[in-house]
Amino acid sequence: MNDLGSTGLRPGAEALSHLGRSVEAIRAELGIDPVSVEAIRDPAIYALEREKIFRRAWLKVATAWEIPAIGDYKVKELPVADASVLIVRGKDDRIRAFHNVCTHRGNKVVPTSDFETFGRARANVVTCRFHGWVFGTDGPLRSVPLEGSFGTLDKACLGLREIACESWEGFVFINFADPPEQSLREYLGDFATLFGGYPYAEATTAFRYSTVLECNWKVALYAFSEGYHVPTIHAGSLPGFRGIEHADFKLIGPHASSTIYGLGMEAAESTARFAGLFHAGTDHGPRPDLLPPGINPTGRSDFQFELPNIFPNLLIHLASGCGYPGMAYFTHQFWPLDHGRTLWEGINYFRPARNAAERVAQLHVNALHRNAWLEDTATMEDTFTGIRSGAIDEMQLMDQEFLIRHAARTLDSYLAA
Amino acid sequence: MMSATMTLPEGFADLAELAARWARPTENARSAIRWTASAEDFAALHAAMMPRLDAVLARLEGCPLDGMDSAETRLFCLAAAFAEAAPHHELYGGSAEVPHSFSARRFVPGHGDTPSWSTALR
Ligand code: FES
Ligand SMILES: [Fe+2]
Repeated sequence: MNDLGSTGLRPGAEALSHLGRSVEAIRAELGIDPVSVEAIRDPAIYALEREKIFRRAWLKVATAWEIPAIGDYKVKELPVADASVLIVRGKDDRIRAFHNVCTHRGNKVVPTSDFETFGRARANVVTCRFHGWVFGTDGPLRSVPLEGSFGTLDKACLGLREIACESWEGFVFINFADPPEQSLREYLGDFATLFGGYPYAEATTAFRYSTVLECNWKVALYAFSEGYHVPTIHAGSLPGFRGIEHADFKLIGPHASSTIYGLGMEAAESTARFAGLFHAGTDHGPRPDLLPPGINPTGRSDFQFELPNIFPNLLIHLASGCGYPGMAYFTHQFWPLDHGRTLWEGINYFRPARNAAERVAQLHVNALHRNAWLEDTATMEDTFTGIRSGAIDEMQLMDQEFLIRHAARTLDSYLAA
Repeated sequence: MMSATMTLPEGFADLAELAARWARPTENARSAIRWTASAEDFAALHAAMMPRLDAVLARLEGCPLDGMDSAETRLFCLAAAFAEAAPHHELYGGSAEVPHSFSARRFVPGHGDTPSWSTALR
């Protein structure tokens, strides 16, 4: 299964065969010992994570299709970095990120209503409501009311404070380090190749959910990082997933990935009908041919989705219509709000519906998946309470939980750096 | 005005009562109805809609998302409610909650107040 060097590979798959690990190799490389829960339990470690991970790693904060037109912006509140970040598409079509902080006295330039706020800048400027300073969407301070009354004001130095911002496949990342130690491409490394080339930007119909969980961010991340829980936690909403196989383990520097194979859902009557609508055409039907060659390298027909962990807090589950009917991919992010509070964001991505019936079918699949997420999130606060109680000091991890083992190790190495 | 928006396309008048109960334009509005529905409500919706689903979807396949008239929009809203409610009858034993789940009321859909036929869900 993990022997990516064997024959019968899809063209291009060999180039990534060095990422593949057998179960034996995973055990040898990552060990089989229990993993300490101290990094979850100890608030002092959270303080370190803020400095050494969230101010150092590349963080996905937007997608290009969320802000498709010139002037479109998104403001993302990131309490983990004490930051409000303005991500905006400039007149030159480039997406940049800035601290959403007015250089006059520190007010938010774009007022926010929630963790995410969307809008469009008129005339390619944003204006602070406090005293009316005007900034270009490319950063510079453009105008200041009563400028003469400042005596002297070096406007050239008072543009919005820029944050390193780079894109990969339409996913927009920022890095608070100034300058970042690596480019985004270097940071993603082979992950960018493994997942590269899929037409993410064509699946722009997004159904997004978020919630604030009373747990450490890693409890939420880890709960979504394994397939071991599927037959039990999802017995209600995914009855057909009992026979899943979690295989094709891959280690990719700070990132890792794996594959869920299986026979899919034992579709209920309505699901079968809605899925039929998708499977009738190539637009929404299963498209294993679109998967990058390192994913499902042998072209198995029971491929469901690829389950990676992109350090520190992003999952892109790539299904290409093979898992949930009609769904191209889905993403998760886990944003710490505090040591014991986490903003979880889950987004289901579909290709645009061509008619109203396809949209109805998307609503069905979206609801099924949202309901599965309701099952996933049900464990998280209890898990954190259990860990905080001191009753256990370690997690026992089996092979299919290697993404957790790997993420915990990566975390330790960042904290030790 | 009222009667016009309450109308269903020709041939779907039999679904009018269900539409009055279930058809709503947004996910938040449909969720509010679903959360208070009983097992009997889910069973009745399923029994009435499942045999009509082929016809409903065939009718909606001819509708562009951004060009539905009010009757088509109402049929769409009913179909959307069925799409989201069907698992409660088929998988969750008629429960309004997903069994053993996190509170659905704590999930915030970013698109919750956007009409579900919107072409700008991103
Ligand atoms: S703080 Fe923004 S104009 Fe004064
Ligand atoms: Fe799950």
